[in-house]
Amino acid sequence: MKSRDIISSLFWMAMGIGVCYGGYKLDLGTLDDPGSGFMFFWLGIIMIGLSLGILIRAMREKAIKGELKILWTEIRWKKIVSVLAVLFLYAYAFTTVGFILTSILLFIFLFKAVELQRWSWAILGAIIITLTAYGVFHLLLGAQLPKGFLGIG
Amino acid sequence: MDLLNYLGIGFSVALQPVNLFYCFVGVLIGTLVGVLPGIGPLGAMSLLLPTTFKATPEAAIIMLAGIYYGAMYGGSTTSILVNIPGEAASVVTCLDGYQMARQGRAGPALGIAAFGSFIAGTLSIVGLMLLAPPLSRFALRFGPPEYFSLMVLGLTFLIYLAHGSMPKALIMAVFGIILGLVGLDSINARPRFTFDKMELIDGVGLVPIAMGLFGVSEVLLNIEQVTRTDIFKTRIKGLLPTAKDWRDSTGPIARGSLLGFFLGILPGGGGVIASFISYAIEKRVSKHPERFGKGAIEGVAGPESANNAATGGAFIPLMTLGIPSNVIMAMLLGAFMIHGVTPGPLMMKQNPGLFWGVIVSMYIGNIMLLVLNLPLIGMWVQVLKVPYKILFPLILFFCLIGVYSVSNAVFDIYIMLIFGIMGYLMKKFDYEGAPLVLAFVLGPLMENNLRKSLIMSQGDFAIFFTRPLAVASLIVALFLLISPLIPWMGKKRQEIPKEEVS
Repeated sequence: MKSRDIISSLFWMAMGIGVCYGGYKLDLGTLDDPGSGFMFFWLGIIMIGLSLGILIRAMREKAIKGELKILWTEIRWKKIVSVLAVLFLYAYAFTTVGFILTSILLFIFLFKAVELQRWSWAILGAIIITLTAYGVFHLLLGAQLPKGFLGIG
Repeated sequence: MDLLNYLGIGFSVALQPVNLFYCFVGVLIGTLVGVLPGIGPLGAMSLLLPTTFKATPEAAIIMLAGIYYGAMYGGSTTSILVNIPGEAASVVTCLDGYQMARQGRAGPALGIAAFGSFIAGTLSIVGLMLLAPPLSRFALRFGPPEYFSLMVLGLTFLIYLAHGSMPKALIMAVFGIILGLVGLDSINARPRFTFDKMELIDGVGLVPIAMGLFGVSEVLLNIEQVTRTDIFKTRIKGLLPTAKDWRDSTGPIARGSLLGFFLGILPGGGGVIASFISYAIEKRVSKHPERFGKGAIEGVAGPESANNAATGGAFIPLMTLGIPSNVIMAMLLGAFMIHGVTPGPLMMKQNPGLFWGVIVSMYIGNIMLLVLNLPLIGMWVQVLKVPYKILFPLILFFCLIGVYSVSNAVFDIYIMLIFGIMGYLMKKFDYEGAPLVLAFVLGPLMENNLRKSLIMSQGDFAIFFTRPLAVASLIVALFLLISPLIPWMGKKRQEIPKEEVS
């Protein structure tokens, strides 16, 4: 756990310092009238203290060889990265391209990318699921879904 | 007499066709997510919250509550048939439930789980009905110092019960409070940590955070490896337990119901802890403890009753004090607020229809669950056969639409994805998401009550040490925080995770 704890504690320490500074800039107020930054400042201090505790304990632990590498071996990290990239792309294109088209493309990708499915199933499944979701969420529940440049939906 | 009047109000609300429909949908979806590993009641509740916007507050809360207790019912099915808990609260049911299934007794195991859940669920609602009114009256005397201290205690309990490192759980809670405070200052309307983004003026939404941490991250963890689940290939027959099964299970169901209910009330408690402790108690009081782990029906009846009873208990702090005792209750608090209702001591007077309608709907929901779980077990087994490669795109898709439809803002989708990545990394680095979400909901309330207390006392912290309830809560919280430094307490805290791993 040594390397993992060192990395994570440094991350939280940086976050704590940022929060502390932000709280200080916001106005701490006084004890009888705490300002907007009062809680942030003290929460930042607590966060720094806790991350220091984790860091010191981790430094005392014995190092495990290849600890970080173990975390990322034997996992399909390319799948994770590609799924995340597509989800971000989906969010980016959602309003301009529209719900129906982006959703169909998203499903085709997800069906094909992670566990290979037949093209016919991927395309048909994507269309059926998207249209069903459109019916349920938009027509039945009245959710506002973007039409996009095609004006569909 | 008052109680009967209130029950009358409750029935008149819960029996309205639209509320019956929402209750049915809630318990059905609850059972479904309980059965399906990879999505829990929290994910399902955040997913379906937007669909309740057009409904009345009564219908919305009835449905969301149904998802919660429905998931507790459904969770046992996968534990017994596949040895994979559909829900964290059903982890312990795997131990004896799966063994019973291997011995050809899947039917009685599923049957006693359903009956035990029904009995415990019903008893806990009776407890909720009897305890909530006096507690609400008592809570009217609470001021900001009491509320602040109780929230600190609630959060500390959750941190104490979190698996693994306590400093890590504390960091998560601190981070949750910070996130909860982003947006306009509730006292002077000053923007805080908004980075000049209009979308952050109202703060970060609970739904994107919860869906990211518990929905998206779970999917990422599941797709990183190729997983195969083997469904126990046997015909499930004879769901009704025998007379001997009933004799063996009566005590565990009764003990599990009581234990679960009271543990549910405790902040940070809930179904998971209740089921583990119930299992340990049953093993200890049994004349044949060696049968446990080899298909003892008591090992199914006790924990399954306890985790269902805990759901009723968990409603008490939320409905009477407005303080959620666990993450799911925090989600429900968010739902109450979205619908313009503030749970707390005044809710029973100001919204008797909602208060009693929700309680009574749980009776009805429990009956629906018994009907859903016994004759339809075959259908739930079929649901289990849906491959993950089809399930995960659907979960991701529902997360995306769910988040978007809450605020019609793409910004929230980004927030959800960021928290999805964060949740994934948190699992890798051994950080837990539950303290973060509870602290996120409690954060603004805590800050508000702390600042009000300090203004009241003109900056004197002694206000927290001169009021009995406030000082008692803070002492217990402090004790829990320093407990890992006390050898025997620290050891006790480690026992639950160890048992879970085994």
